[in-house]
Formats: sequence, C-alpha cells, structure tokens
Amino acid sequence: MRFRTRLLLIFTVAIVASVAVVDLLVLSRTRQAFERSETQRADALVLQFRNEFDRRRRELVRTVNAIAASEAAHNIAIQPDYTQYYDYAAPQAATHDLDLLELVAADGAIVSSAQWPARFGYKEEWLTTGEDWKLRGAFLRREELPLGVTLALVAVGTATEGDRKLYVAGGRELDREFLSTLVLPAGMRVLLYRNLEAGFSPSQLIDAAGPAARPALLRPLIEQVRLERRESSRIVGSGAAAESFHAVPLPGLDNNLLGVLLIASSRRDLVELENSLVRTGVIVAAAGILLGILLSWWAAARVTRPMHRLADSAGRVAAGDWNTTVDVSSADEIGVLARAFNRMTGELVAQRERLVQAERVAAWRELARRLAHELKNPLFPLQITVENMLRARDRSPEQFDEVFREGTATLLAELAQLKQIVGRFSDFAKMPAPLVQPVEFNALVGDTLKLFAGQLAQARVQAVTDLDAAVRTVPVDPEQMTRVLRNLVLNAIDAMPEGGTLTVRTAAVAGGVRLEIADTGQGLTPEECARLFTPYYTTKTHGTGLGLAIVQSVVSDHGGRISVESEKGRGSTFRIELAGNSV
Amino acid sequence: MRVELRQNAETPDPPALLGGGFTIARWEAGRLAVYEADENAGGGRPFLGSVEFHLGRALRDQASDLDLGKADVVELGPGELRRQPAGRRVWSSSPVRVLALVFAPRYEDARVREALALAVDRSAIHTVLLQRQGEISGALLPQWLSGYAFLFPAAADLGRARQLAPGARPITLGVSDAAARPIAERIALNARDAGLVVSVTPQTANADVVLAELRIASADPAKALAQIAEALGLPAPPREASPNTAPNAAANASPEQAYAAERALLEGFRVIPLIHLPDVYGVGARVKGGPGIAPSGEWRFDNLWLEGARP
Repeated sequence: MRFRTRLLLIFTVAIVASVAVVDLLVLSRTRQAFERSETQRADALVLQFRNEFDRRRRELVRTVNAIAASEAAHNIAIQPDYTQYYDYAAPQAATHDLDLLELVAADGAIVSSAQWPARFGYKEEWLTTGEDWKLRGAFLRREELPLGVTLALVAVGTATEGDRKLYVAGGRELDREFLSTLVLPAGMRVLLYRNLEAGFSPSQLIDAAGPAARPALLRPLIEQVRLERRESSRIVGSGAAAESFHAVPLPGLDNNLLGVLLIASSRRDLVELENSLVRTGVIVAAAGILLGILLSWWAAARVTRPMHRLADSAGRVAAGDWNTTVDVSSADEIGVLARAFNRMTGELVAQRERLVQAERVAAWRELARRLAHELKNPLFPLQITVENMLRARDRSPEQFDEVFREGTATLLAELAQLKQIVGRFSDFAKMPAPLVQPVEFNALVGDTLKLFAGQLAQARVQAVTDLDAAVRTVPVDPEQMTRVLRNLVLNAIDAMPEGGTLTVRTAAVAGGVRLEIADTGQGLTPEECARLFTPYYTTKTHGTGLGLAIVQSVVSDHGGRISVESEKGRGSTFRIELAGNSV
Repeated sequence: MRVELRQNAETPDPPALLGGGFTIARWEAGRLAVYEADENAGGGRPFLGSVEFHLGRALRDQASDLDLGKADVVELGPGELRRQPAGRRVWSSSPVRVLALVFAPRYEDARVREALALAVDRSAIHTVLLQRQGEISGALLPQWLSGYAFLFPAAADLGRARQLAPGARPITLGVSDAAARPIAERIALNARDAGLVVSVTPQTANADVVLAELRIASADPAKALAQIAEALGLPAPPREASPNTAPNAAANASPEQAYAAERALLEGFRVIPLIHLPDVYGVGARVKGGPGIAPSGEWRFDNLWLEGARP
C-alpha cells in the first residue's frame, strides 16, 4: 500500500471516527434535551387533564347540590310517604345530564333511582354509615346497574327539612362517553381501566372510542399501578406510534383502587423531530466526512509529495544514478531528510569516484604486474639465448652457426609467445558488442559441451546435463555465449585436477532462463569469490585472469547477471540469468 | 262520547265493549270501534247518541287527551292516577284483572318456578309501582269473587327461594306492555336477590316466563277460573262432579270445589298470581251521570250524557 494511500486511510478513519463520535454526542445530548422537554410537556398535559378532571368533579358536586337544594327535593324530604316519587329521579337525571341519580331516605332506603328504577326500597348503607363522602366532594364508586357493574364519579348532596333528611346521590359513569367529553390538548388521549374485577380484564380498558385497542400493551403498566397503588409512567409502542403513558390510580371512597387513568401523550412529534435530527446529523456527518476525505487527500498529497520525490530519488540512486538530488524547500523533518539524502548521494558519488580511481590505479598496477610477469617469462629465454649467441661468437666461432640457428629459433618462439600474450590482452580490450539473435539455448549448451568430450574424458570428468525442455529460444550472441560456456567449462575442468563431475543445468525462470555450471572441485573461499570476476585475477598458476572477466563482460552485455556459489572443498556453481525465453 | 283504551284488539269482529242500548256502527280493527244508540232498545234509547272507542292508546297519551278535552273517558294507570288534578272524577271497578307470571310450557324446572314465586316482593310492587291500587294476592280469582283468595300465600320468602335457586339457568321474562315493564324489572331484581338471573325482554313469544294481565271475565268463580285456564293454555280445572251434576254444574260449583280447582291450577307454579287490579278511568268534565262502570268492570253508558250535547 502506498504511503499516500495509507496516510489517506488513516486520515479518513480518524475523520469518520471523530465525526461519528461528535455526531453521536450531539444526537445524544439533543435527544436528552428533547426527552426533558417531552417530559415537561407530558407533565403539563397531565396537569391540564387533572384540572379538567377536577373541573368535572366540581361541576358534578355543583349539579348534585343544586338538585338537593331544589324546592322539589325539599318537598320530597318532608313527605311522610315517598312511594309516589319512585320515578322522580330518571327525568331529573336526564335534565341535569347525569347518568346516575338516586334519592335516598334518611334510613338509607332508595326512594327513586334513575339508573336502576326497580331498586326503590333497597338500602344504600354507604350513605348512612360513616358519611365519609362529606369530605370528598366527588369520588369514585363502583356502581351496580341492571346490565352489570360500572365505575362512576359520584357526589352526594342532602336536602334537610327539620329532622327530615333526603340524600341526593348523583354521578356520571366513567365510560366512553365521559372520556369523549373531556377537553384534551392535541396529541393527548385518555384511557381508563376500570378495576372492577379480581384480575386484569382487557375489556375493562376503554378510551373515548370504546374498548381500547391492544390492551395487552398496557397491561404491565396497569398491573404495576394496581400493585403499587401509585402513579407510574411508561413509554408504550415504538417509532412514531409510541406514546408516553402516565398512569394515575383512582381510589374509591374506601381508598380501594377502583380505576387506573391512563393519560397518553403521543411521541410522534418528538420521534419525527428526532428522526429529522438524525437525518440532518447523518447528512452533515456525511458531508463532513466527504469534505474531510477531500482535505485529507489534499493534505496527504501535500505531505507525501516530498516523500515521493525522496523515494524516486532513492530509486534512481538504487538504479545507479548517483547524481540524483532532491529539491529542498522546507525546514521541517522532510527537509532535513532531503538534505541528508542529498549529502548522502554526494558522499556516494565522491566515494565512487575515489573507488573508481583507486580501482583504476589497482587495475593498472595489476595490469603492469601481469604484463611484467607475462613478458618477463619470454624475456628471460631471449636474454639467455642472445647471451649464448654472443658467448658462442666470442668463444667458439666454429659453433656459432649452430648456436645461432638454435638461438634464432628460440628467439622466434619466444617472440611468438610474446605476440600471443599481447594479442590476448588486445582481445580483451577489444571485446565487441554482442550480435543478438534467437538461439536454441539448450542446443547451444549441448553443442558446446560436445567440443569438450575428449578433454573431459582425459581429465576424468563426467559431464551431466540437465536441460529444461521449457527453455527455448533465447536472444543471445551465439559466438560470445559459446565463449562464455567454454570458459566456464574449462575453469571447471581446471578446478577438478583429480577428476569429478561437471553438471550443466538450464531452467526456465520468470522472464528468462537460468544456466548453472557446477563442478565438484576444490571450491573457493568467500574472498576468492568476491574477487573472482576482477580482470587479471586468477587462482591458477597459468591463467591470465581474464577468462571470468570476459564471461562477466559478455553476460553483462546481454543484460544478464552472473553469480557464483562455492564452498571450500565442495565445488563451485556458476549461475547465469538471462532475460527472454520464447515459449 | 270519546273513550280511549290501551286495549289493542286486532280481531276481525269488534269486541263486545258495549251491551244493551248500543249497536256497533263501525269497526276498524285494532283502532276504532263506534257504537250508536239503539233506537229500539228494550230499556229505552240511551242518552248518548254514539260512543267512539279509540284503541291502542298509551296511558300517557290518554291522560294528555283527557287534560286537553280531546277524550271523555280514559284509562288511568297508577302513575297517571296520582297526577290527576283535584276534582277529577274517577271511576273504579272492583279488582277484575289479575297480574301474574306465566311460565312457558317448555320450562320444566319446578324448583326454579317456585323460587321465583317466593322471591317476588308483591308488597313493594303494590305500594310503589301500583300506588296501592288493587290487592296483593296469591290467587287467580280475587277475594271479592272467590272469598278464599287469602288462603293462597302471597308473602315473599327469600330464604327459601335462595335454597331453591342454585343451578338455575338464566330466565327471560317477557313483558309486552311498556307500562308493566317497571314491575317486570322489580321482579327481576327480586329474583336476583334470590340468586336467579332474570332478564326482562319485550318479546314474549320465546320468553321463559311472561308477565301477563288476565281479565276476570265472569262473576262465577268456576267459570272465571276455566276461562283463565283456557287463556293461559293450562289444563281445565278439575271438577268434583256428582252423578247428579248437571251440564252447567261448573257455574254452580261450591267454594270448596272452586278452591280445589284453583289450587290444582296453581300447583307446580306454572302460574304465579301477583296482584288483582281494578279498572280505573278518568272522566272528563262533560260527562254527566254514571258511574259508567259496574263493579265487575262492565261499561254502563246507558245513563250517561254529555254536557251541552244535543240528544
């Protein structure tokens, strides 16, 4: 992965993480703020409902007291016989919009009942025992009706005339109609659970439209209130359909739980607001991340540009262009690095020049030494021969002719050797450029080895070939490559004076071929390996030290590479890698 | 003269509302019966030229018509009776109707029938709903007719009723007359106290028990009893006839025989008599003479006339 890409990735991850964290924090804090606001709104709604409920209670008390204070009620109270008033309550209830109305004598016997006319004469003992209702205004009561039990808001008034007393108990049923007449703020609804049975009964949960839908959702909240007898809140549902429910226990006259009022406040607005906020947050975050990525890309490009230049320069240096430098314009760490790089390449160039110079000097010295060595051997016989000829002419003129013939023959032979030596040096100096052409490489190797069949047999060397069929035509100069093979084979034969095995192996490798020539000879030391391709260096007593230098020169001219692998006493392996192998 | 009645006679022939001195002149089934004075009546022509009977009128409408002078004679229920203005003439007969619970033949559970009979508080119904009109009774025939009605128990026994009630299935109590519905509701309430579940319905055809009003159509106990039994679809009352009994012996049955016959009818609580009611009528100021009703409840219009009317 490129440095710029990695840097961009790091920047992106950092930006995404930062934006996500900030976004989540903002959303979380905003949601908390909204929740607080929603709670305050729900509390306000609950308070508003309580006020409405209290208003209805006061209104009921006023209505019942008005009936009790009426002349008709007082007139009934003083009657010795109530029987003719058994049907008085029903029209009165209708007139005052009451669901329940009973006139009850001082002994608790019902004089007239609107909700259950047939109950005249029955006793309402709760009115005459204790009379706790006097302190309660309107209160909840479980009322029995012909069709069942219901929950009602009841108030009691009295019509007193002397020692005669008539109770007037009026009320409104807490049913669907009652809930539908409550004035409620928008987004709010009221449900009522009438706790008239021993366990939870879904049919007793009603709202202004009738039986409440999905009562099971509210069962846990109702059960909790029934158990704890105190107010409780809970969010029911999910998403925009969620509602915040505030449950209020409704105790009766004996503080027994007769109902649970559920004030529901829709969370739709809150949820939609939150959703809008989340959408906006996501859009802003996405835009921020996108912008961050663009800026990161720009910053990464800006930061890595000098690094790229440094890397390119280092690459050029590695490729051999030691004169490469980096433009330095900043004073930061990159600038320091670039200046250090420039100093380093400058040092390398200087060292290389010094090395080249030193090597050149060393090469000249070696050349001089070699030349002196090579030329000194023939010169000594020449000197002896000339001295013999002079001595023969002075001391034995009769033998001079014979000495002269022998001397001149020797002189000619030595001069021919000198000429040969000079020619060899001349050949090395005049190494021609390779004439590259497609060559069946395995055939070239095989043909070359055949030339050495006799020599190998004489030297007791067994030749083993391992030629890869995948190796086909390779672009080489066949003459120079033959010379390379010849040199390496001769070297191998020289390395095995006691005989051994010569292994020649070809192999197709990625993008070219590989040639290995291995012997089982004396091997080389690491130091010898290091200097092996240096011109005029030889480990043999009769060599010129130019063979492997020529081999390296040819391989290099072919764009290839030569290496040696050796271990003292275990033989050596020369490995040549050439480019191009047409399959 | 215009008379209004609750009765709703949907018969092809006109009911015998008026006897001597008047003949039927027009009959619209269930709505109107017009009688005209018989010029050739044996006792002489009645004073009234004609009498119109408007049938199927609700009690409340009748009272209203009387107040407005649109009607001359109307029926009065207990509620209307107590609301009559001072000085209003009221004709009242002896108790000639019996209010009773009549079980359908298919209702087999005699224990439940007895439980319902013992649960009903006749006193409260009589005192409050009927405003003390009529007489509480456990007999089919009124005391004035039979002389033994007091022998049939009429008091409620809630304790005994509760003992009999367990296991009873819900009972439907049919009452077709809206004016009688409060009585039915009270009976249902009494039954509830005894542990019976009774629901009141205006449909009588399929009800388990019906609150029925039966008219005593004869002054002869045995004959009246037989007519009631026939009207209720009960077996004819047994007769203790002797070899010398004449074909019309029923009309001459002794009180003991009538008592035994009525007792036999009431055994098993198929019929539960509650209260005997009189016929009560409010009379308009124009109507003179009278009273226009006999103790037995029969009309007697031959001696009535209307103030300001031309003969």
